Amino acid sequence: MPLPVLKRIPLRTPGVMAAKLLLPWGSACDAPGERGSHQLLAACLSRGCGPLDPLQLADLVEGRGAGLRSDAHEDGLLVSLRCTVEDVDDLLPLLGWMITAPQLPPDQLELERSLSLQALQRQREDPFQIGIDSWRKLVYGTSGYGHDPLGVQTDLENLAPERLRELSHRLPRGPAVLVMAGCWPDQLNGDLKQLQGFERWPATQSTEQPPEPLLDWCPQKDSTIVTTAMDTEQVVLTLGQACCSHSHDDDLALRLLQSHLGSGMSSLLFQRLREEHGVAYDVGAYLSARAGAAPFLLYASSSAERAELALTLLLDSWCELSERELTSAELDLARAKYRGQMAHASQTASQRAERSAQLHGLGLPDDHDQRCLSRLETLTSRQLLVAAGRWLNQPRLSLCGPAPTLRRLESVWERRQSGGVSSSSS
Amino acid sequence: MELCHAVLISSFTSPELTHWTLANGVHCVAAEMPDAPLLCLDLWCRAGSASEEPGEEGMAHFLEHMVFKGSERLGAGEFDRAIEALGGSSNAATGFDDVHFHVLIPPDQASVALELLLDLVLNPSLAEKTFDLERDVVLEEIAQYEDQPDEQVLQQTLSRACPQHAYGRPILGRPESLKAMTPASMRRFHQQRYRGSDCCLAVSGCGVDGLKQSIETSPLAALPAATARSSHSGLELCPGRHHIQVERLESARLLMVWSGAAAADQCWVVGADLATTLLGEGRRSRLVARLREELQIAETVDMDLTSLERGSLITLEISCNPTHLEAVETCIQEQLTTAELFTPMEIERGRQLVGKGLRYSLESSAQVASMAASHRLWGREQNLLHPLTHLRSWSSERLQAELMQQLHPDRACTLIATPGSRH
Repeated sequence: MPLPVLKRIPLRTPGVMAAKLLLPWGSACDAPGERGSHQLLAACLSRGCGPLDPLQLADLVEGRGAGLRSDAHEDGLLVSLRCTVEDVDDLLPLLGWMITAPQLPPDQLELERSLSLQALQRQREDPFQIGIDSWRKLVYGTSGYGHDPLGVQTDLENLAPERLRELSHRLPRGPAVLVMAGCWPDQLNGDLKQLQGFERWPATQSTEQPPEPLLDWCPQKDSTIVTTAMDTEQVVLTLGQACCSHSHDDDLALRLLQSHLGSGMSSLLFQRLREEHGVAYDVGAYLSARAGAAPFLLYASSSAERAELALTLLLDSWCELSERELTSAELDLARAKYRGQMAHASQTASQRAERSAQLHGLGLPDDHDQRCLSRLETLTSRQLLVAAGRWLNQPRLSLCGPAPTLRRLESVWERRQSGGVSSSSS
Repeated sequence: MELCHAVLISSFTSPELTHWTLANGVHCVAAEMPDAPLLCLDLWCRAGSASEEPGEEGMAHFLEHMVFKGSERLGAGEFDRAIEALGGSSNAATGFDDVHFHVLIPPDQASVALELLLDLVLNPSLAEKTFDLERDVVLEEIAQYEDQPDEQVLQQTLSRACPQHAYGRPILGRPESLKAMTPASMRRFHQQRYRGSDCCLAVSGCGVDGLKQSIETSPLAALPAATARSSHSGLELCPGRHHIQVERLESARLLMVWSGAAAADQCWVVGADLATTLLGEGRRSRLVARLREELQIAETVDMDLTSLERGSLITLEISCNPTHLEAVETCIQEQLTTAELFTPMEIERGRQLVGKGLRYSLESSAQVASMAASHRLWGREQNLLHPLTHLRSWSSERLQAELMQQLHPDRACTLIATPGSRH
């Protein structure tokens, strides 16, 4: 594969430039027994690269007041730089060196491994994190989306440094994209191959391509709920299903349903659980933009004594999506929120660069969002109902909270399952 | 249309602010940001939790919730529906000193949003039938915080550091105080605090000049003038060392809190920002370099300055393996008491991080409105980059003499939190 595709988004900013380099090697590529390997590799990339040892690199970045980080998410590895225009010349080469010439010093690798293990341990303090991790495992199992990008303790402990080096060698050998947004000096308007740091980018394409993402989710019938007992005040409820990829035709319909359910204070869940019944403070709906079967999730947390009502309301809201069409007023509001979300997500150079890189990584055209905005007007409530029937028909539930309450909630779930999951009023 | 880069690069000063005051004392500030895709309306009021009297603990935050339950003109939920139908969003936040309500909206809908926002915040209905239900929501919010060990540890530290001061109390209040509140007591609270010079409206984005006329004839202009209220005491921190066990902690925490000058002393605030950056921001900062990178005895090191009107707070929070606590504490002691002067390279690094951090924040209309409003509300009519003019005055020697002395461990309230017995 030749150099990364370069995209430039000139913007009038307070002299700020954001650059995002996206590579197709995310945590979904973690091999069995190596869960967390891509995030650990990502974390190590900023610990020495090219001619700069770890201290020199930190001195350069921090000495310019810049931000440089590298993270694995499910579908890719993203290197992010934010700096001011006067420092672009000196800092942009780092993105190339991090990928083509990472140093991966053993002591720094061990430090990052230790920090990752401690972060994993600390995540267990958060019932929301436990709720989502358990749901992810229940739904995706051992497939690529089945674990947090940070990984799993035993796998991380046993990951050999040589394996990380192997993974680092293939980083520049997949289709990559570099997006610059904001302001930069004119001399950077040339080709990427002329840019320091990118001259060693390999010219040939590797035979090792990223694995195909999981597009079709096959639910296991025998297991529809997972519970985690914790001595907490509240129960965290996570209800959801693996749906389609961001590039699927139904994605837009599901996004409108997500807007209807969980976007803003006028959303159905907010109104129903919080405003009408007062059973939750934090409630919402979430749909990731993924290359594969993306999770569509509803979540809420409620005190033990009110959790049963919260679960019933959550289930009713879910079921209604495929039982009745949205009214024209509801559809109009969902459309307006979708348009609003687009504007809200385009406020900074960093947001613009990341969205552009994401679209490219998913194989979508630069004007995908504009096309969606046009399509929005023609989508009907009937089409949303059909999409819900297709994708939101086998939800899975994760509960995290005090054991006695979990038992009561499991009974509610079993009753709903045996009666076919449908809203309680129907 | 592709923009010429020479033009782009030449225009990175901060947005120009226009300040004016309504006849009743309401402060207004506008920031023109022609390229911002969304316009921000941000209404601030000196009605944070520190303004609560005995028996009112939690009222400021509860009122912030109740405001969204509708006004005399807008039914419950009507405001949210209207703003979101226009492609906007709204939210609010209550702090120790102030509370603010903000709307992000496409610029062509700003006038409508302004009218809705001012009606909602200045004429809340505080209806009996929604009061109990919303109290339940706040109780759920409290329960959610209780389930986050990090939040518990921070609150436990502040309670010990400022036992006699409002900054030591939870902003959310406590269930017993919330249960004693009534719509009538909340209305009194609102009427006493949401007044003339205790309020500030900031607007930032494209076309803000066009809103000035609407603001001057809005319900803001009809607010009664502020009356003098009992002045609150300055912050006096209680140094000490405490230990607690928290059942669901997975790693130990060490928190240290120091008090400092009030936000009005902008020069001190900038110096403290620089000092906390030199000590705790980035791999080359002193505490991160020593504790996490060299000795490898800490997982996270966070040092923050919270600039507050009655006295600022500096917090240092460390998470580590419980077996490393003693070594961590010893190292902090060394770094804060016997360390050498900051080198010129360190000082330059700190100045860059502080200065550029402020510049990055000027990208979003919401951040610009928030900074402009909070300064103006508390009497600081200044350019957004003005604080940086103080940066050069903080030499290594001055930092040592004035700030590092203040950050002596003996002057801190320290809390050690370790995992409970089940570990």
